[in-house]
Amino acid sequence: MKFNSDYIVPIGCEGIYEINTGKWRTKKPVLNREKCSRCGLCFLYCPVFSIEKMGKDYQITYDYCKGCGICALECPKKAITMVPEEEK
Amino acid sequence: MPKIEVMNGNKAAAVGAALSRPGIIAAYPITPQTPLVEYLTQFSADGMIDSTMSEVESELSAMSVLTGASLAGSRTFTATSSQGLSLMYEPYFRASTLRLPVVMAVANREMISPQTLWGGPQDSLTVRDAGWLQIYVEDNQEILDMMIQAFKIAEDKRVLLPVNICYDGFYLSHMAEKVIIPDQDKVDGFLPAYCPEHILLDPKRPMAVDPLTNGYLLTEYRYKHMQAQQNALAVIEETDREFTNVFGRSHGGLVETYRCQDCDAVMVTMGSMTGAAREAVDAARQNGKNIGLLKIRAVRPFPQTKVFEVLKDVKAFGVVDRNVSFGWNTGIIYQETRASLYENHTVIPSIPFIGGLGGEDLTMEHFLFAIDRIYETAASGECGPMTIWLNKEV
Amino acid sequence: MNVMDKLAAGQELVSPGISACVGCNVELTLRTVLRVLGPDTILAIPPGCMGGVGVVGWDKKSGCKIPVFFPLLDNVASMLAGIKLHYERVGRPVNVVAFAGDGATVDAGFQCLSGAAERGDKIIYICYDNEGYMNTGYQRSASTTKGAWTSTTPVGSDGKGGKKQHKKDFPMIMAMHDIPYMATANPAYIPDMVKKVEKAMKVKDGLAYIHVYNPCVTGWGIKAEESIKTARMAVESNFAPLYEVENGKFRINVTPKNPISVREFLKKCKKFSHLSEEEIAELQRTTDEKWNRLKSLCAL
Repeated sequence: MKFNSDYIVPIGCEGIYEINTGKWRTKKPVLNREKCSRCGLCFLYCPVFSIEKMGKDYQITYDYCKGCGICALECPKKAITMVPEEEK
Repeated sequence: MPKIEVMNGNKAAAVGAALSRPGIIAAYPITPQTPLVEYLTQFSADGMIDSTMSEVESELSAMSVLTGASLAGSRTFTATSSQGLSLMYEPYFRASTLRLPVVMAVANREMISPQTLWGGPQDSLTVRDAGWLQIYVEDNQEILDMMIQAFKIAEDKRVLLPVNICYDGFYLSHMAEKVIIPDQDKVDGFLPAYCPEHILLDPKRPMAVDPLTNGYLLTEYRYKHMQAQQNALAVIEETDREFTNVFGRSHGGLVETYRCQDCDAVMVTMGSMTGAAREAVDAARQNGKNIGLLKIRAVRPFPQTKVFEVLKDVKAFGVVDRNVSFGWNTGIIYQETRASLYENHTVIPSIPFIGGLGGEDLTMEHFLFAIDRIYETAASGECGPMTIWLNKEV
Repeated sequence: MNVMDKLAAGQELVSPGISACVGCNVELTLRTVLRVLGPDTILAIPPGCMGGVGVVGWDKKSGCKIPVFFPLLDNVASMLAGIKLHYERVGRPVNVVAFAGDGATVDAGFQCLSGAAERGDKIIYICYDNEGYMNTGYQRSASTTKGAWTSTTPVGSDGKGGKKQHKKDFPMIMAMHDIPYMATANPAYIPDMVKKVEKAMKVKDGLAYIHVYNPCVTGWGIKAEESIKTARMAVESNFAPLYEVENGKFRINVTPKNPISVREFLKKCKKFSHLSEEEIAELQRTTDEKWNRLKSLCAL
C-alpha cells in the first residue's frame, strides 16, 4: 500500500502552511512619507503585521496585506490612503 | 527478594502502577476505584513514588491532563470506572488516535441507569471500539503484573497505543488476596524509560499536533492504527513470555484455556467469574462431561485466531457474558466469539448466556446449569435457544 | 525599549498567511502576544476561529513555527496543565499558553479552566472574547451581550429578539478564583496588552489569565477598517473596562475622562441594530453598575 504520509499520527512537520492573502484585497494602502510622523500606530494595528519597522521609518509590504483599511483609518496624520487594487 | 503482601485489587493496581514509575498521575475518585487513587496519593505523600500527582476535578480533566503530559513526553497513568470512563470519552478516543501510550486501570462497574455501584465490564466493553487495547484480568496478582506489562506493551514501537487493564469492581477491587510484589530494580530492567519519537510537543522540535486533516490522510492514520492493534496480538504474547522469564509467572497471553485438550464442548468466560467457572468445569468433568473452559483475556485486539483454534472442532459452546449488547439480544463477548468462527467449515451450535449484572452473583450453580444447557445443545446438534438469562433461571 | 521596537524585534511565530477575516483584530492579538511570548512557547488553539483559519496547520504542515496543537473544545486548560507538569518535572522553563475563544473558555471549557485555576497550574490562558462561536457561523455563547443578534438567538420578523440573558462577567469570575494574575485587554490598546502578557509570563505560582475583548468584524457587522476603532469605543464607554488583578489587588488601567455613551459603541455593530430604547438603556445601566462595582473593588 502506498502512503501519502510517513507518520503514524497526524502531525504537521513539513513546513509552514501559508495562504496567499495578498491576493484577497480589493484596495491597498499607500503611504505618503511626507505626512508620516513615524508614530508607529499603523505598525501596531496591522492585523497581518504587513507594515515593517525599518529603523525609524515604517514601510508597507504587500505580500499578505488583505486591504482591511485599519492603517488608513487609525493614522492620526491621514498619511495612508486606500486606493483600488489594480485589475490583473 | 520479592515481598508478599495480602492486598485488595485496588492496592495491587496502585502498587503495579507505582513500580512502573509513571511521570504524571491524574486520577479522579469513583467507586469502586477510589482506594486506588488514595493509595497512590499516600505513596506520594510518603515519598515512595516521585510521580507528579494532579488532583483533577473530573475524569474529563484526568484524561486531558494525561494526554497533554504524554504529548510532552511523560509516562502517564490513571484509573476510573463506569461513569468516569464515559465522562472522559472525548479525550479517551483521542488518546488512542494520537497513539499515546497511556495506561488506565478500569475497576469495571455497571453503567447507570438504574443507579448502581456494582461490578461488571459493561463500562469498558461499551467503548471497546475507541482504539485502546483492553485486557481483562482474573485475580489480584494478575492486576499488579499487568500494570507493568501494560506499559511495556503500550510503549512498544510496534504498538504505541494506550492500554486498559480491566478488573471486576468489588469482586477484585475490594477483595484481598496474597500478592507477590516484584523488586523495583527487576521492574526497571523489564521496563525502560519512555522516549517518544512519533509525536511530541517540545520547542526544541516544533511540530503541529493534530492539524486539520483531509480524509485521504485520515484514512492512512486509521489504517496504521488498525495495523498496530494487529501487531499487539504478538506483542501481548511476547510480553507475557518475557515477563515469565524475568518474574516466573505467566497469565496466559491473549486467552487462557483450561482442560480444552480433550474437550467436546467449551464454556467461554472472562474476568473474575472464571474462578467459579473452573470449579464448575471440574465438577462437570467428575460427572462425565468433557467440558473445557476458554477465558478471554484480550478483548482488543480480539484474538480471533486463538479462539478459532480452540473452538473449531467442538460440538457446542456457550459464552457467559456479564454485560449486554443492546440490539443484538446477546452479550458482547458472545458476538465477538461467534464472529471469530465465521470461517469454520461448519456452524457450531452455541448459546449466549447473560448473568451477573449489577452485582448479582455468578455461582457454581449458575455455571453448572450453563454447562448442562451447552451439553443439551451439543447432543441435539441444533443451534442453541435464545439468550439464557442465568440469574432468572437458577 | 518602546513597544514598537519590542514588537519589531520579536519573532513572527505564526504563518504570515492565515485566512482570518479582513480586519480581524483576533489575528492582531495573536500575532502580538506571540511576538512577546517568544519561541520557547507551546501553544494550544482549541476549535474556533484561530484553529479554523489555519493557525494549527493543515494535513502535514504547521501553522506556527512553535509547537502548536488542537486541544478539544472542552479541555484546553487541562491538556496544558499536563504539558506544564511535564516541563516542571524535567526542569525546563517553557511558556505553556492557551489562545482560546469564548466558546472554549466561558462555555464548554469552563470546568477544566476552573479546575486548573484552583490547582494553580502554571499556564497562561488567553481568551479572545468575540462574544460567540464565530468560526462556525456566529452562534451565541454565555459571553454574548444581552440583546445581541446571533444565529442561535436571531431577531424575529417582528424586529424583536436577540440573546435574552446577560453577558457572563468572565474576567470577574476568574479574578474570584484568586489566581495570581488576571487582566482584561483590548486590541486597541497594544502597549497595555504587551505589558500584561509580560506580567503573565512572570507569574510563577499559579494560573495567569488574560481576557481580550475582540469585537468581531464579520460576526457583529462592523466595517473592517473600524475594527480597532470599535474595540476602542468598548473601553471609552466603560462597556469593556481595562483592568487587572494582581494577587487580589484590583487596578483599573484606563479611566476614560469623559466616557462616551454605550449607545455610541452599540451603533457601530449591526448585531445591535434592532435594540429598543429600553434595551439600550438597560445596557447603559448595567455598564454603569459594573463600572461602579469595579471602582469599589479597586478601593479595597
